[in-house]
Amino acid sequence: MSNFKDAQNKAHPNKRNTLMSALIVILILNISIQIWLLYTGLNNALGKHKDIALPAFIASLVLFLIGFFWLYYLPMGDRKDKSR
Amino acid sequence: MSDQTAKDPNWKQDFPIERTASTQVSRRDFARFLCLVSGGLAVGSAYVAAKAHFFPPEEIKGEHFVCKADSVPVGGTRSFVLEGSSIPYILIRLENGDWRAYEQKCTHLSCAVYYKPGSGQIVCPCHEGFFDATTGEVLAGPPPRPLPALQVVLKGEDVYVTA
Ligand code: FES
Repeated sequence: MSNFKDAQNKAHPNKRNTLMSALIVILILNISIQIWLLYTGLNNALGKHKDIALPAFIASLVLFLIGFFWLYYLPMGDRKDKSR
Repeated sequence: MSDQTAKDPNWKQDFPIERTASTQVSRRDFARFLCLVSGGLAVGSAYVAAKAHFFPPEEIKGEHFVCKADSVPVGGTRSFVLEGSSIPYILIRLENGDWRAYEQKCTHLSCAVYYKPGSGQIVCPCHEGFFDATTGEVLAGPPPRPLPALQVVLKGEDVYVTA
């Protein structure tokens, strides 16, 4: 079966490099937001405002899932074996 | 292919990965690692939420005797702990005659704070954090939250604290 991955894998390395960088930048962005969410949630929970902890967790989880499915778009690089 | 291998230096036979492939691998692994970190942060947030909702810190119940009023001079302080807990508290007799009690744990990194006599400020020596002694609010420095306070009740000559 042919999907966008085949085209992606045959693309010029420059293209894949750009793609990879974009993916990593987005992941780092997600993580920064998550760090902020964790910090805020923790601070408010310790300061007896526990209502913020749950939305912060949900947002963090959503960001993680986005990042996780994001990995599907990782270029596979110069794989020699065509078995995959 | 075989004579090709024979020509290659030994290290290349041991590590037969092309340069482009090797950079791609490491960046791909980096992206996966970032995803792992992201998952870890989500788990951390989940822990915070669960702890806040299902295992809240125990409330202090009732009144607890601390000391006699005349054992603390004006502008002086006294540390105490409540029985059944290990949290250190600090009792302050302000210069204007008011009494205050706070957790003696800085809200930044839990260093022991102390009252600076005459200044109306509670100081954390670790990273120069300053709190207002009358309210517990943060005046300066890195602490993110005000000091948790206890209510002080005077009964004649006896000083009691309550939540
Ligand atoms: S621990 Fe008190 S300011 Fe850092």
